[in-house]
Amino acid sequence: MLSCRGLAHIASDYIDDELGTVNKLSVRMHLLMCPHCRTFMGNLRASAALLEKHSAQTLSADYLQRIDREIERALSNDNSRG
Amino acid sequence: MTNTSSPEGEIALIELLKKGDQAAYKHAVRLYTPGMLAVARFYHGNANAEDVVQDCWVTVIDAINKFEGRAGLKTWLHRIVANRAKNRLRTTNREVSTDFSETLDPELDSRYGSSGRWLKPPTLKTDESADQLLENDALKECLNQHLSRLPEAQRSALVLYETHHHKSDDICNILDISHSNLRVLIHRARQKIFLMVEHFQETGEC
Repeated sequence: MLSCRGLAHIASDYIDDELGTVNKLSVRMHLLMCPHCRTFMGNLRASAALLEKHSAQTLSADYLQRIDREIERALSNDNSRG
Repeated sequence: MTNTSSPEGEIALIELLKKGDQAAYKHAVRLYTPGMLAVARFYHGNANAEDVVQDCWVTVIDAINKFEGRAGLKTWLHRIVANRAKNRLRTTNREVSTDFSETLDPELDSRYGSSGRWLKPPTLKTDESADQLLENDALKECLNQHLSRLPEAQRSALVLYETHHHKSDDICNILDISHSNLRVLIHRARQKIFLMVEHFQETGEC
């Protein structure tokens, strides 16, 4: 019988459909009986969705312009080489 | 600029890059650099990641002519970064050190008793969608803070998996890790965000 802690270990694998049939059924059985783990699984799923929507990466304009300049220089070198 | 979310758009972008079109490069740099930085940070942390990615873009100018399109452009660029980052690690004799041993975050683990049952179960159900949650600027700021504090390996795996929708096999290849280790990294990162959202919803504080 899968414990609540045991379920927490494999919760992301369940969300991403990475579990085999036996483990998947164990998780489903446990979720049917355990409201706390249902809340946990729902909230973990919400966290995954949040991360999918949110890219924290904001790049500095300065860094992007530095790359642009490097590319511009390399392209003009390429052209001058013919 | 071309819409690169479709395969046709990506093919058009690749053709422009092969012609040395500067506007196409500007577009590609803004589109692909975040993911490329995630790969570089996995190997080098914040310190040298930006330099590695900048060098890679210059390499791309010549290499793009040999691009055959077997993998998507994103995956190809990420592999270039990974190879360069690994070479640089070799020259500096550094190794990536990552802890894959614990599946559960210690804070979450402490909320279960010795029987494996919850001692401190989650009390609030997150009913809002991700879009609704992200309308809250304070939560978004808190999320940014927590993401920036994640260990680089977790953050890189997460960014490549969740934000850039890479297939697991591609990530394992790019980051040189096993599938089970990738699963640990993703699960650990999600738990951190689960705990953050829970704390935020309970207290209104980050």
